[in-house]
Amino acid sequence: MTSMTAGLPDVNRPRSPFTLNLKRREAIAAYLFLLPFLAFFAVFTIRAVINAVQISFYEYQILRPTRPFIGFDNYLELFNDDIWWQALGNTVIFTVLTVIGTSIVALLCAVAVTQPIRGQGFFRVLLYMPSLFSVGAVGLIWVWLLNTQYGVINYFLSFIGIRPISWLSDPNLVIPSLSLTTIWWTFGFPMLIFIAGLQGIPEQLYEAARIDGASGRQIFFRITLPLLRPTILFVTVTGVIAHFQVYGQPLIMTNGGPGRSSYSVIFYLYQIAWTAFRMGYGAAIAVVLALIIATATAVQFFFIGRRVEY
Amino acid sequence: MSYRLRHLPAYAFLIVMSIFVVMPLLIAISQSLMTNAEVNRWPPQIIPANPTFENMHQVLTQQDLRIDLWLRNSLLAASGYTIAVLVLCAPAAYAFARLRFPGNNILFGLLLVTIMIPSQVTLIPNYLLMRDLKWLDTFNALIFPGAANVFGVFLLRQFFMSIPSELEEAAVLDGAGYFGRFWYVVLPLSTNALVALSIFIFLGHYNDLFWPFIVTNSLETRTLPVGLTILNSSYAGQYRPMVLSGAVLSTIPILIVYVLFQRRIIRGVMLTGMAGR
Repeated sequence: MTSMTAGLPDVNRPRSPFTLNLKRREAIAAYLFLLPFLAFFAVFTIRAVINAVQISFYEYQILRPTRPFIGFDNYLELFNDDIWWQALGNTVIFTVLTVIGTSIVALLCAVAVTQPIRGQGFFRVLLYMPSLFSVGAVGLIWVWLLNTQYGVINYFLSFIGIRPISWLSDPNLVIPSLSLTTIWWTFGFPMLIFIAGLQGIPEQLYEAARIDGASGRQIFFRITLPLLRPTILFVTVTGVIAHFQVYGQPLIMTNGGPGRSSYSVIFYLYQIAWTAFRMGYGAAIAVVLALIIATATAVQFFFIGRRVEY
Repeated sequence: MSYRLRHLPAYAFLIVMSIFVVMPLLIAISQSLMTNAEVNRWPPQIIPANPTFENMHQVLTQQDLRIDLWLRNSLLAASGYTIAVLVLCAPAAYAFARLRFPGNNILFGLLLVTIMIPSQVTLIPNYLLMRDLKWLDTFNALIFPGAANVFGVFLLRQFFMSIPSELEEAAVLDGAGYFGRFWYVVLPLSTNALVALSIFIFLGHYNDLFWPFIVTNSLETRTLPVGLTILNSSYAGQYRPMVLSGAVLSTIPILIVYVLFQRRIIRGVMLTGMAGR
């Protein structure tokens, strides 16, 4: 057959290279579409992550000409660093308080605002407003509200006979106070997410429950909460990631004080890397922080992320 | 129970929450119109006896404060960053959503993994890179390092996949190439998603503190959030009303935008938030 058709024009020929060509052209187009993104991604993310791990094995000080390799010494130092442990403890407490606080406030607001009431849109817009402000504005406003001597909050509390509270200067109260400020500032985003989640629950389920004579509380705990589980997971995971990186509130409102009572991990990282210029030790802090956040995320997936069964 | 009565608790709760949300801002506005002596007084004044704009004037004219420049820098940097994110992420998302190529899954998996790595790991290496490139104290440092935004790719990819591919096939019959399909068919159909992503990205960058704090160091290149920390450390001790004026003034541009585009912004945040799930 081959020899017979050798001299004749091959009808199949133009087609098969054409389809191959098409496939290749599609791949080339895809790589061209991806190229700008991947170039930036390679430099500012992949390279940076690898480089951070690398630097953490060196005594890398900006102002010193030699940068000796020291193995795990930075990590050992971190393990024995009291300030690190205090900063980590503060950050964990702050994160737990803030995530629980914002989630509850956000969920209650979302439930209230999705009732068939007038002014839904108005309340939604108003309650989201603080989320638009920068941490600078929020910090400056709240640091004065919480002032022990002249603060309006202590003034209001004095009406019901409460003596002035040292919100930001009492070592035991400073983290809850920063957390309160942060709840005010950030509950808007989880609220919107909960609203979207609530709107995704089929109305028939509520109707069926009402026909069965379920009370409002039963409906909330037996239908709304279980069906919101994926939304709750999303809100807590993003909340933990965001609030674990708290920095601006202590910087502006307390400068880490009193003493080191409001040092956060990132606040300490800043001190190490940008005031002491110890980049190697700073990189070790950043790597450990990343591992902690990744672990926290995995744990939440394990506990909240399990499927709901009926 | 009557219809109204049934929703009374919801109303009551929402009104309490609204007061909680609005009070701090109202008190800050009110105190920014007071004199220094009025603010440092017990019991605190809630309404200024003689409202004065002197503090606003002071905070805008001090030699060591440049709120006008900081606002401009913040707006320019956030706009530049948003554009960079769109330019990088939209084509990449299109490739992941619509085109077949070897390594598709591996690359996408790589992106998935890096979204779980907190950005703080990249701070020190990227800061050192900025220093080596002599980008410290420039807009480049504020715009480019975070521009390859993985979240942006995810969001747009998801949206592009929801566009019926028949629409693109029609364009192919008209002789459109891959770029033509992306530019003339997919992008115009995705304006909602693009606007939503832009709002989300812009706001995040506009309010960012840590990165601009470390990569800028002269008065003229600071952004608004960083500027507020300078205002705080220089003046909070003696001139509280001036500091509050600065905080209040800094919220005005964003509040104006919010009042004008409230629906779009709320929808945009909801859409991006939900897609992230």
